[in-house]
Amino acid sequence: MQDQVQLENAVPGSWASPSRARSCRQQAGSLSRHDSRIPKSFVLTVLLVLTLVGLSFQGVMLTSDAGPSIGETQRAGILADSNATLTANAGPDLSVLQEEEFELDGSASTGNITKWNWTVSYQGRNSTIDGKVVKLKLLTPGAYNFTLKVTDGKGNYSVDIVQVTVVKKPFNLLGAYWQEITIAVVVVAVVSFFFLAVTGRVESIPEATQEKMKLSLRKWRKIFSQVVHNPMGLAGVLILTFFIALAAFGPLIAPYKVDLTALSPFGRLEKPSEAHWLGTDGLQQDILSELFYGARTSIIVGVVSAIIASVLGALVGLYSGYVGGWKDEVVMRANDVVLSIPWLVLMIVVAAMLQTIDLTGIILIIGLTGWSTTARMVRAQVLSLKERQFVERAKAIGASDSAIIRRHILPNAFPLVFANTILTVAISILSEATLSFLSLRPVNTVTWGTMLSYASSADAFHIGMQGWIILPGLCIVTVVLGFTLLGYALDDIMNPKLRKR
Amino acid sequence: MARRSFRWIIIKRLINVAITIFGIMSLNFALIHFMPGDPVANVIPRDPKFPDALKWQLIEKFHLNDSLATQYVYYIKNTITLDWGESYALNGRKVIDIITTDMRWTLLLVGVSTIVTVLLGILIGAYSAYRRRGVFDVGATATTLFLYGMPTFWFAIILQILFSTHPLGMQWWPQLPSSGYWDTDKYGINAKLTLPIILSLGKYLILPTICLAIGSLAGISLIMRSSLIDVMTEDFILTARAKGLTDYQVLRRHALPVGMPPMIALIAMDIAFIIGGAYQVEVVFNYPGIGFRTIWAIQNLDFPILQFIVVIGGVAVVLANFISDLILMYTDPRIRVT
Repeated sequence: MQDQVQLENAVPGSWASPSRARSCRQQAGSLSRHDSRIPKSFVLTVLLVLTLVGLSFQGVMLTSDAGPSIGETQRAGILADSNATLTANAGPDLSVLQEEEFELDGSASTGNITKWNWTVSYQGRNSTIDGKVVKLKLLTPGAYNFTLKVTDGKGNYSVDIVQVTVVKKPFNLLGAYWQEITIAVVVVAVVSFFFLAVTGRVESIPEATQEKMKLSLRKWRKIFSQVVHNPMGLAGVLILTFFIALAAFGPLIAPYKVDLTALSPFGRLEKPSEAHWLGTDGLQQDILSELFYGARTSIIVGVVSAIIASVLGALVGLYSGYVGGWKDEVVMRANDVVLSIPWLVLMIVVAAMLQTIDLTGIILIIGLTGWSTTARMVRAQVLSLKERQFVERAKAIGASDSAIIRRHILPNAFPLVFANTILTVAISILSEATLSFLSLRPVNTVTWGTMLSYASSADAFHIGMQGWIILPGLCIVTVVLGFTLLGYALDDIMNPKLRKR
Repeated sequence: MARRSFRWIIIKRLINVAITIFGIMSLNFALIHFMPGDPVANVIPRDPKFPDALKWQLIEKFHLNDSLATQYVYYIKNTITLDWGESYALNGRKVIDIITTDMRWTLLLVGVSTIVTVLLGILIGAYSAYRRRGVFDVGATATTLFLYGMPTFWFAIILQILFSTHPLGMQWWPQLPSSGYWDTDKYGINAKLTLPIILSLGKYLILPTICLAIGSLAGISLIMRSSLIDVMTEDFILTARAKGLTDYQVLRRHALPVGMPPMIALIAMDIAFIIGGAYQVEVVFNYPGIGFRTIWAIQNLDFPILQFIVVIGGVAVVLANFISDLILMYTDPRIRVT
């Protein structure tokens, strides 16, 4: 349109011909940023390389720094009974790296052995592990003597000692925190890519897409400012900022490392002291450190399972609402069935089927059982959107179903789903705590829920460890409050009409 | 019959209810029978000398070696004829006995706590809406949301601790019993409806009731508040004020009746969910009801009890949904149109 106007105004034959005018305008517009244009492919390659470096770094660290085993001196077994032909053999002395798993192998022992028993004197405490071959991890450097005691059925035994030297692992930022660094690199890269794209410094992104990105950025900034100006939303944002920071940096500032697979240097159920402000728990871990570590796992469980539930629910709701007819009836009846079975029973039974639950398992259990309310809500929304005029218009110009869903229904239903997801996160965190309390806890994982469950089974309050039971609970309550406040605020802002129902 | 007539809608809903109940039964059967573990192993003594013949007799008796399809047919038949069979683990006690005994205690607990929740919730919600954005409104909303975010079992434990100790050495602080139905040391274990036992029952109910009521308080008071706020902006409220009615009259006579219907659905769903099991409260307060029994049955793989408890919970939800829909349609004619 503008070109045509220019065409009419242009003096024929002069230097200001239409094409020239256009190119001039373009040059003027992009003059300031002409030099700093970065090809999209370059940005993507850098991103990919950084991710790969981050991911592969742990492997590199382990292969290059694994210390060679020194000292091959073998100790003779001490025979307790001259009659028995029992010889303990604990294997050669070892030198291992801090935080690295190693194996103590007593299978070279001879005789009619019924029991293998490893004892280690560890920071003034004796720990005993049973088993022929045991896998261990040690967190603190130093020299440890492991005593292997093999016993046969008649009470004869034989003893052998193996010395394990734990070498301090050279501190390496990338090696120690490769997960955190990878995530940070990816986040920074995505954000900067988006920033570059919005400001138009990336080639091959058409101006239309750029405009769209600008619009959506403006929309989200507006929503954010509305949330911050809503007292409930502001409180939610502040609480969540604190806890997300705790989740990100918690393990770095925790006083001790929490690793449930390692041999712990602490005693069982130590009372609060200078060294351990909240004491240690039955798993011999420092409770304050567990609190820091738990922030990350609890929030990950909540967020990921809420996303799974929301995506599943949105898909089912979209399908059922858009297709309609008997298919809708079938899906909705199935949904009613899932919704009517008490959710706790559903989760417990699904968990019992899985037998051993790890972090992924618990996320899946919560995510896969929590989609029905979302599905119902999305369906109701789709049913009303389907009848709106813009959908009719799109149909009239021959848009396909997938295009209508993608372009018209999904963008309109998204705010509702988003606000609902935030509320679901709160419920997921609570579900995880409840499942843990009913002793369906993820193995080798510390969450606030598992802490509470151990605390209540150890009767923490009456043995003088009040902090152990009160603090994880308070953390859960506060995080849930944060997500709920933010969810309600978003709901208020994004769906003002729906609140009226 | 017109498609939009009240009767037609009810018939359609009833068919849906029947289908849903059937679905619940089937899903429930599938879930329970795919659970790992051998239910008979929990019944027989852990003794290698236990004769295999007896074990096979038990398996035969419970139809456990039939195909799943046959078991399913037995299950459907037994459910419909109310012949719910015997518990595996409880020495052959009738399932229907066990469930009705447990149900009495759950209904007592849930009944009392629901009354408390509804009354408190409506009061708080109404007053918050009435003094919107006031100190009470903000304070009540924040407090109820905070209470809503508490893991129920954690709150139960904290309550137990609070009322079994003297915090900060306060000697006047009340001490409340925190486990069991009533004081069995003092009054014996036979449930007789004498005054001291009833008083003792009431005392033992306080903590579980507080725990259950406070968890669902936020839902009710927040919905009440937002529903009333919507009503308060309507024109007829303005008219009522213009007529010179006092604030209380406007609230009581004009706003509350219109703001109530959304509450009905919520309360019905709440009751249904709680009948399905106040699991955590019952477990922590050692108050054996339906929820307590469910957890027990899952741990012991007691299929008959589990099958029927879950069905009862599911049916309660479906029926509550249906009844609340009917009440809503009856009280609010606008809903019938859609």
